[in-house]
Amino acid sequence: MNQYKYLIIGGGAAGISAAETIRQTDKEGSMAIISDEPHPLYSRVMLSKPNFFLGQIPFEQIYLKSKDWYSTNKIDFLGGKKAVGLNTSENQLTLSDGSSVYYEKLLIATGVDARPWTVKGSDKKGIHYLRNLEDGIGIMEAIKNLEARPRGLASRAITIGGGFISFEMADLLKMAGLETTMILRESYFWEPILDEASGLMLENAMIKAGVKIIKNYEVTEVLGREKVEGVRGEASRPDLEASPRELSCDMIICGIGVVNPIEWLLKNGIATNKGVLTNEFMETNVPNIWSAGDIAEYRDILLEENVQMGNWVSAREQGRIAGLNMVRDSIASSENSVEASNKQAFKFVSFYTTQGFGTSIAFIGDVTPKPDRTIIKRGSPEINSYARFIIAHDEIEGATLINRNLEMTTISKLIESNMKVSEHVKEIEDVNFDLKRLV
Amino acid sequence: MANQKEYIRNRADSKISKIVVDRDLCIGAASCIAVSGETYELDNENKAVVTGADAADDSTLMMSAESCPTKAVLLFDKEGRKVYPK
Repeated sequence: MNQYKYLIIGGGAAGISAAETIRQTDKEGSMAIISDEPHPLYSRVMLSKPNFFLGQIPFEQIYLKSKDWYSTNKIDFLGGKKAVGLNTSENQLTLSDGSSVYYEKLLIATGVDARPWTVKGSDKKGIHYLRNLEDGIGIMEAIKNLEARPRGLASRAITIGGGFISFEMADLLKMAGLETTMILRESYFWEPILDEASGLMLENAMIKAGVKIIKNYEVTEVLGREKVEGVRGEASRPDLEASPRELSCDMIICGIGVVNPIEWLLKNGIATNKGVLTNEFMETNVPNIWSAGDIAEYRDILLEENVQMGNWVSAREQGRIAGLNMVRDSIASSENSVEASNKQAFKFVSFYTTQGFGTSIAFIGDVTPKPDRTIIKRGSPEINSYARFIIAHDEIEGATLINRNLEMTTISKLIESNMKVSEHVKEIEDVNFDLKRLV
Repeated sequence: MANQKEYIRNRADSKISKIVVDRDLCIGAASCIAVSGETYELDNENKAVVTGADAADDSTLMMSAESCPTKAVLLFDKEGRKVYPK
């Protein structure tokens, strides 16, 4: 069969969440999930967590669905295939193996790709990204197989980039006993998402654990024959001198952001910006096509702007809303209902947490720095507990928390309530004030 | 695993009688809270704890467990059989 009532492109958190939601209402409608990976749903989040990475829990724990789950739920799993073409007037999708699949309702939940490092020599062996299960296994294997250095010296790893991949991977590399150096193009960690004070808190936690951090540094070339042996670089600012000129290493992990795989959608009328544009119902501009997860650039009705939120929790929620609207739309059209289907809007304060080096980090809502935004601070680096509330139009748009994750759910509720902050600045600034009283 | 915390559920309309959070697996992703903020909270170790074992109906509770990216939420029926993860 190559025609489905529900066709989902992407077998990750958003796609599966949509499938689960559809099946709660429509138990029989034909459904297929296309995934460019051969695996059933696994936890992308766990790829960079210590207990998985260091083999403290069984490998199988990474799988969140068994292969049976798909057949039990009457879902065809088209694994190892990629969607490469879309004909919206024929409701037809072309796959990488040349086959065609037809849909009534389509969900684009492809996720995004790791941004490739294009510096000279970046095609050498020993440079890793962390995007999928194969990448995670590849890093684990690489660490195991590193050749012993003379006189029992630890092998050396470099991480490139100043975001959560580098943060989590540096923690794991240290735990695995590697000498670890983090290279940042910026002048402090996680610039400009964090302020310098927050960035330095995280740097200090890493330095204390033995991570070397080189800032304001741009790698210009990866050294080595077939395999990486080191990097050469220069200062990322003209007023500074590069130090050191060269640095030896045995492996590199690269976490420099993401790219949106939308090229295949550009010729068929689907509106895109950075990602696939949708309204608050996760609908694209083309009838019968929705988008969810990291690739979706949706209308956020709480923030009143178009955003992409690349994290597990948001992907699950977006998938659920898309699935709900797909199944309701399907019921409405099959009943030939003249009334519009009962659509549900995606209204969700996204959050993302991570931990490493004995430090917890949480991002809530939209933390992107923009010119019209001001900051209210709560706590301080001195007490090792520091939050920043990002304010626009007298409302909280987002927050970054370091060692204050306990307040995450409360702050989410404050963002959702569109509370006017001007009357509460003193209370927010007072660490002894219980924020729950504002909810 | 040793570090598991159990929460008994006494809801008349429920087939699930026990929620277990595996604190070794929990990473504080808070996806369970996103699905059911009435059931869970994060504690000061950044782990999920159950504060409202009876707050959610079975299908919401099931979704909250399924949403966990580390399978740290386990659900048991009245006969003590594990209903999630299977």
